[in-house]
Amino acid sequence: MAAPNSAQRKACWDARDQLWQCLDDNNDKTQSCQQVQGDFEAKCPAQWVKYFTKRRDFLKYKEKMQTEGFTPAGGPQVNS
Amino acid sequence: MYISIPLHLHRTLCLHRTAQYRYPSGPERVLTRSLSRTPDSSRAALKLRTRLGVTLLVGGGLLGAWWWVEREKQQRRRRQRVEQLRTVALGQGTFSLLDHTGHRRTKQDFLGRWVLLYFGFTHCPDICPEELDTLSAVVSALDRDPALPRLQPLFITVDPERDDVAALARYVRDFHPRLVGLTGTPEEVQHAGRDFRVYASAGPKDEDGDYMVDHSVLLYLVSPDGLFLDYYNRTKSPEQIADSIRNHIRNHVPL
Repeated sequence: MAAPNSAQRKACWDARDQLWQCLDDNNDKTQSCQQVQGDFEAKCPAQWVKYFTKRRDFLKYKEKMQTEGFTPAGGPQVNS
Repeated sequence: MYISIPLHLHRTLCLHRTAQYRYPSGPERVLTRSLSRTPDSSRAALKLRTRLGVTLLVGGGLLGAWWWVEREKQQRRRRQRVEQLRTVALGQGTFSLLDHTGHRRTKQDFLGRWVLLYFGFTHCPDICPEELDTLSAVVSALDRDPALPRLQPLFITVDPERDDVAALARYVRDFHPRLVGLTGTPEEVQHAGRDFRVYASAGPKDEDGDYMVDHSVLLYLVSPDGLFLDYYNRTKSPEQIADSIRNHIRNHVPL
């Protein structure tokens, strides 16, 4: 299976961007974005779909950490 | 006849002779002198001018000294960095790989050229194309200056199983025309990667046999002596990288 060429890469990235835009507009409700999701999965290799999905999860998580803050995991208390 | 007379008497005698001139003395002298030479305003202006001039001179001198010290500090920092990189001694070994036209290339072939090197794989979703775009932008930017030597961009695969000569040929077409792709047997590729302490780890294969290769993402700058000089991560813009390379070229002292 040959690697995607420049045009195929771009098509995949555009489909991904459309999907992410749709998810952003619909508050991450995947049901509303089924068609865009299908388009994305058609245009990108399976490994890339997995990769980009994980990437989006990570970006959302990072955003959450930056806006909402986080409570550090409990560990041994050290007297400062 | 010569008579020695005390000065004050002489003065009085002289004064007496030239009655119209009265030699001023004491506080009178200062006033008269100022009145007879320059009016008050221009004397003040003169004093201001001299004060300004002196301030500018001193200020300029201080600025110059500071600038010189800054430059020395920068140069020292740069020298220290080169020393550190030399101790780390990346890229000291030799590699022997096949380029994307099927010709064997070794490290020796690239001596005498400034090399900008990237390790990646052709099935990479976004990072490798981005980095190769940055690499191409940097090389193009430096190409625009006719006084600079032409950089040699290199792409070495971390996925020799899939990235054969044909795959590389298809891949490098999308980037800078001088980009040379390099591949080989897994041992040859591992040897080259180890030389630069590149981390590469193939992930699990899916049902299509497709997989990702997790790898360190860096652009490596190698001098014409084959010495690893610097590295650039994803936070650096093409302009910053080009500037850094220009500096290295300017300060390069051949071994």
